[in-house]
Amino acid sequence: MTHRWTQVFSVVLFFLCVGFPFVAGEYWLHTGILCLFYVMMASSWNLLAGYTGQVSFAHAAFAGMGAYVSGLAAIHFHVPPLLGVFLGTAVAAVLGLLLGILCIRMGGIYLSLTTLAFSEMLRIIVDNEYELTRGTMGLSVPFLLPAYSKTAAYFLMAAVTLVLLYAIHRLVRSDLGTAFRAVQNDETAAASLGLHVVRIRVVAFVISSTIAGLAGALYGHYHQLITPEILSLNLMFQVLAMTVIGGLGTFAGPIIGAVFLQFLSEYIRIYGQIHVLVFGLVALAVCRFAPEGLMGLRRRPGRLSPS
Amino acid sequence: MQDFLLYTTNGLLLGVIYALSALGVSLIVGIMNVINFSHGELYVLAGYFSALFARGLGLPVTLAALLAVIMVFIFGLILERVLLRNTYGNDMASLIITFVLSIVLQNAYLLIFGPYPQKPPGWVTGSTHLFGLFYYGNQRLAALGVGAVVIAALFVVIKKTWFGKTVRAVAQDREMAAMLGVNPTMVNMLSFGTGCALAAAAGVILSPIFPVTPTVSVGVSLTAFIVVVLGGMGSLTGCVVGGLVLGLVQNLGAAYVSSGYKHFFGFFILLLVLVVRPTGLFGQKQL
Repeated sequence: MTHRWTQVFSVVLFFLCVGFPFVAGEYWLHTGILCLFYVMMASSWNLLAGYTGQVSFAHAAFAGMGAYVSGLAAIHFHVPPLLGVFLGTAVAAVLGLLLGILCIRMGGIYLSLTTLAFSEMLRIIVDNEYELTRGTMGLSVPFLLPAYSKTAAYFLMAAVTLVLLYAIHRLVRSDLGTAFRAVQNDETAAASLGLHVVRIRVVAFVISSTIAGLAGALYGHYHQLITPEILSLNLMFQVLAMTVIGGLGTFAGPIIGAVFLQFLSEYIRIYGQIHVLVFGLVALAVCRFAPEGLMGLRRRPGRLSPS
Repeated sequence: MQDFLLYTTNGLLLGVIYALSALGVSLIVGIMNVINFSHGELYVLAGYFSALFARGLGLPVTLAALLAVIMVFIFGLILERVLLRNTYGNDMASLIITFVLSIVLQNAYLLIFGPYPQKPPGWVTGSTHLFGLFYYGNQRLAALGVGAVVIAALFVVIKKTWFGKTVRAVAQDREMAAMLGVNPTMVNMLSFGTGCALAAAAGVILSPIFPVTPTVSVGVSLTAFIVVVLGGMGSLTGCVVGGLVLGLVQNLGAAYVSSGYKHFFGFFILLLVLVVRPTGLFGQKQL
């Protein structure tokens, strides 16, 4: 796509986002807000997996961390949600830094295993510490804004999502973004060029975890109920499936994947939990036959991929 | 004292089965450099198959168990052929595929078998008076024995037979092995199948004691991964030692600290080992 078309596309998208709540009913507005949450989650996971090649399974755990920290602060210390969201994000960032330093030096498979273990540990703690987290019953938390309004919540989430997307867009085109891809493509060559491979990976991991924490905290206060479901592997799977189906390592892939799958799941939800199975089968087929996802279909055969 | 011995025996039993299950993961990691995230789902599948063959078709229980392992072995061969074969060299693709596969299988089980626990009939009945202190179910003793025998058999196959030598050659240096006339594609397929069959063996041994549901698989996979990392990626001896350590820690921890945190102890050990000695107890420097 040429630069001009990208601009036109962005403007159209922006107005679609702004106009959406005026045409959508209550139900579709809710779906739209969920889409925004998934766009944030999938885009930030893609930043890590698609651009630096590290598969983390703790992404949902960081979202849960953001949600629970903010929720607990609001309940026990009456911190206003908008301030609590920052607190939750900060805690997720610090935890991401610690976990990143701990396990990224060991590389590939170890990162996946450690993040998986971390996320299950967190789930066990939340399930068991009933007095604090109310276990599987879920934690009731105040609404995101002082007055309840779905439309206002939508605009807030949309604004945050657009800012994050713009930041990610700038980031992947910056020197740091180039360093991300250099590390993914050839670690040894990147190191010989003087790049600090471990530090670059940790930076990507922390940025990604921070965004997940922010998305989780916003989502928790919008939903007004935080359950261990948010840090489960099921949510992790949905984020992963959205990114993979949309196109790993492309900017638009996770956005398209998240919106497409979220709306799809609204249509097939009437058949019960079958939507998870459908997502899974689609994701498997994409991995096997079209590893570049929906974004890959756009490219004409024979043309080299831009990255 | 009596309680302590009981918990220890239980820990040893689980430890042997953990080791058996982890050997499957370790074999696949060592040879194909693929972490199979759907390991636990294959364990559960074997449990379903043996319950189905024994109750539905009325086959003798041991035959049903054996048949279940063979079925999962064949399923493993198909999975390797259809999903994994063209991902070699791309660690991330195989990681994502097996993770997605695990979610697909879990939801498929939920759809087909429902959320209810399924339990194949036991092989033996009654109980034995152990150490003159407590009664212990014969089914559990049989599980311990069969598990130990299968592990011993695997060691003999890997260390002594032609197949074992081929597999070790491919694990050590794929290109050199290929030059010497080994067919690495065939070795990959067979080792993936064997890894799945080991998960299935653990599944048919434990499912008469702990019934299978679609969701127990997550715990099975995670324990297998912990054992593999604990023992050192690709080390078979490490698997056995790691399995026993984890079995004992989980059971004693659940008994004396808190049962809700049973699996937590495993993850905690995993993190600890990764911090102190990332290559595991018996791991080599590489990988």
